[in-house]
Amino acid sequence: MIIRVRFTKTGYLKFLSHLDLVRLFTRSFSRSGIPVKFTEGFNPHPKFSIGNPLSLGIESTAEYMEIEFAEDIRPEKVMVSLNTVLPEGIKVTEAVVSEGTASLTSLIRWSHYEIRLWVKNEADRTTLADKLKGWDDLDSVLIDKKKKKGKNKISVRVDIKPLIGNLQFKDFDQDGFAVLAALLKTGEEGNLKPSDLAEALETHLSLGIDLEMTQIKRLDAFVEKDSKIEKPI
Amino acid sequence: MIDKYKLDKVLMKVEKPARYIGMEQNSIKKDLSKAAVKFVFSFPDVYEVGMSHLGMHILYNLINKEADMVCERVFAPWVDMEEQMRSEKLPLFTLESKEEVRNFDFLGFTLQYEMSYTNILNILDLSGIPILSRDRKEGDTIVVAGGPCAYNPEPLWQFIDIFVIGEGEEITLELLDLYKEHKKEGFGRKAFLVDAARRIQGVYVPSLYTEIYNDDGTVRGRMKLIDDIPEIIEKRMIRDLDTMFSPESMIVPYLETVHDRVSMEIFRGCTHGCRFCQAGMIYRPIREKSVDRLLELSEKLVESTGYETISLSSLSSCDYSQLQMLVSSLLEKHSDKKVGVSLPSLRLNSVSMEVLKEIEKVRKSGLTFAPEAGSQRLRDVINKGVSEEDLETAVTMAFKEGWSRVKLYFMIGLPTETDEDVMGIKRLTYLVKDLFFNRPKEERIGNFQVTASASCFVPKPFTPFQWHGQATEEEFRSRIKLVKDSIRDNKVTFNYHDPKTSYLEAVVARGDRKVSDAILKAWENGCRFDGWSEHLKYDIWLAAFEAAGIDGSFYANRQRSLDEIFPWDFISPGPSKSYLLREYKKALEGDTTRDCRLGCTGCGISDCAMWGVFN
Repeated sequence: MIIRVRFTKTGYLKFLSHLDLVRLFTRSFSRSGIPVKFTEGFNPHPKFSIGNPLSLGIESTAEYMEIEFAEDIRPEKVMVSLNTVLPEGIKVTEAVVSEGTASLTSLIRWSHYEIRLWVKNEADRTTLADKLKGWDDLDSVLIDKKKKKGKNKISVRVDIKPLIGNLQFKDFDQDGFAVLAALLKTGEEGNLKPSDLAEALETHLSLGIDLEMTQIKRLDAFVEKDSKIEKPI
Repeated sequence: MIDKYKLDKVLMKVEKPARYIGMEQNSIKKDLSKAAVKFVFSFPDVYEVGMSHLGMHILYNLINKEADMVCERVFAPWVDMEEQMRSEKLPLFTLESKEEVRNFDFLGFTLQYEMSYTNILNILDLSGIPILSRDRKEGDTIVVAGGPCAYNPEPLWQFIDIFVIGEGEEITLELLDLYKEHKKEGFGRKAFLVDAARRIQGVYVPSLYTEIYNDDGTVRGRMKLIDDIPEIIEKRMIRDLDTMFSPESMIVPYLETVHDRVSMEIFRGCTHGCRFCQAGMIYRPIREKSVDRLLELSEKLVESTGYETISLSSLSSCDYSQLQMLVSSLLEKHSDKKVGVSLPSLRLNSVSMEVLKEIEKVRKSGLTFAPEAGSQRLRDVINKGVSEEDLETAVTMAFKEGWSRVKLYFMIGLPTETDEDVMGIKRLTYLVKDLFFNRPKEERIGNFQVTASASCFVPKPFTPFQWHGQATEEEFRSRIKLVKDSIRDNKVTFNYHDPKTSYLEAVVARGDRKVSDAILKAWENGCRFDGWSEHLKYDIWLAAFEAAGIDGSFYANRQRSLDEIFPWDFISPGPSKSYLLREYKKALEGDTTRDCRLGCTGCGISDCAMWGVFN
């Protein structure tokens, strides 16, 4: 039986690497006592996979994971048991029985992000909204993406415009950050990192932002089903 | 609290940012504003190393158990983090509250190895705490240090306000209680330091003493600068390990550390009397925890951590008087949770092999043995009571049980060592190989590999070899070369430590107050993480010796006269200087001394008999 869960990764725990997160879940399964299925062999480990791992430093309120169980178990039980042992910042928010056969990672196509930009001076703050309107007028936005090809790192020029589903300026928040919402392509069939988008915004629109201060949070991930996009849960 | 966004920005740029975030399972975050005493514990190395240190878990839980006290942690920021912190002017902060270290009452370092000393200065500097004790003012954090290297405190005398000598469970709370008492009636820094030195056994406040030298640079004596403070600092020791505080939980790191397991201390002290071993001398006498107490603790530790392995920790775990019973009871108690037991230090005897058979039923990883020296003659000199026959029996049995990878630890540069002794390293290593391949082909299980590792011997204070002049770099190199060139076999690997690090370690280990100037200079000129070969800046160290006006070989290579006063003679670790000298003389004759479980060897601990009889 496979259970699909949604979980958060917030606060300082955004600095856990994917590997650390895998270790955390492995330990949490064993501590919570839920009957997760183990691989056979010399060095057994629990069977689970996290869909489309986040880059280090990005928060998320909606990560997805599929866990395989040796016996039938109620999804609510999985959620409650895990939440008693998971740390503050990583919590399961929903769990359902998964009917699918394809892996989660291969299904996720879009991510919805909240991008918070730090505008360095007051003058740039007042003009930010206007400048951002100019984005829609750009036909194409080319950026250099670094790719690994064999042993070498090469730079590939890509147009990121088709990788953006939606981009919206919300408002300035309490701490003074400009809050943007962005729907970006994710996964094997095209991927845009939100940090690359922030950099492109600065390059093309001269917003006056301190890129190193950028705060990013994934709000949700989406799969494409019959050319409609929907949430994995 | 430090600036959250600044920290965020910095963490985005460093490797393994999880080193700096805290929030691990079983870490404790209290309200700092409600605490009467705020303590920061620091292991002066990178997070993963520090988190593997059992003493940290003990003191952390010990202090936090007190309702009005807080203990948080800080480690040495890795070089990339230091660079970012300096450029962003981000002060060093604790993992729990992300509060500046300098806003705490105490900063306590554990001194586990000399090559971490420059990290201590770096931690002070990054915290904004004055490096030198004499520059600290009222309100500045009080800097404390303890641990094995504190037994020779003088090389750090300028930087540390209070040394605590010996086991920390009691003295730490006594010190913090005294602080609380002083705070009630208008706190004065100096008055507190003096009172601690006067009232608490094991406390050494270096600023209250001077060291006086002879013309040749050796120590002539010491002088107290005020009355009523002890001339001799007696180490602290816990008498009953069953009733003392033992941690019932351990912080579980997110990052992979050196030991990802429960570490459970089963006894303190060691009775073998190996003459090179400082721990074997300073932690005497031997005191065990009972099987019942260990079973009780193991349950709480496994429950709170979720770890699946319990490591039985001590100086020589196979010596535990009821090892077999302990191991089988532990396995039985935790059988439903698949919890395993591991023994980190093995001796070459049949009992340990029997126990090993029981605990390592599944995974046949490598086995490690430490003959320490290549010839029987030299093993007698160092009093390592292990024979070639012991090695043969143990290894043969291990091969029969399915092990195929063996590691052997040796030291080079031991007193009286000859080329023949050194070549014994090769001989023993090949003996292990032959024992594997001389078995019938169908009985050889696995892919055989033997690794011999040689470290360069560093004479330490409070050992019978404290008089011994360390081998020079050239001597080390030629002896290493001898072994290295003689090994030509793809089943046999020979590793060795860098003699340069061992030389620096030897200078600092037996250093006096003059050496502290060199440590300061070395740090000022960029030395940190000296224990990490990729960061060791040897030339800067040599320049620092020169700038401080000291000759490194005076401390490392000089053969001491038998009546020399040592910089650490004012510390009393239990065993007497005359005992150590007697052992040194016996060593030079190749005479062995029996394990003191078999009968007292007169080390000078006066009321030792009360700790029970072992046989």
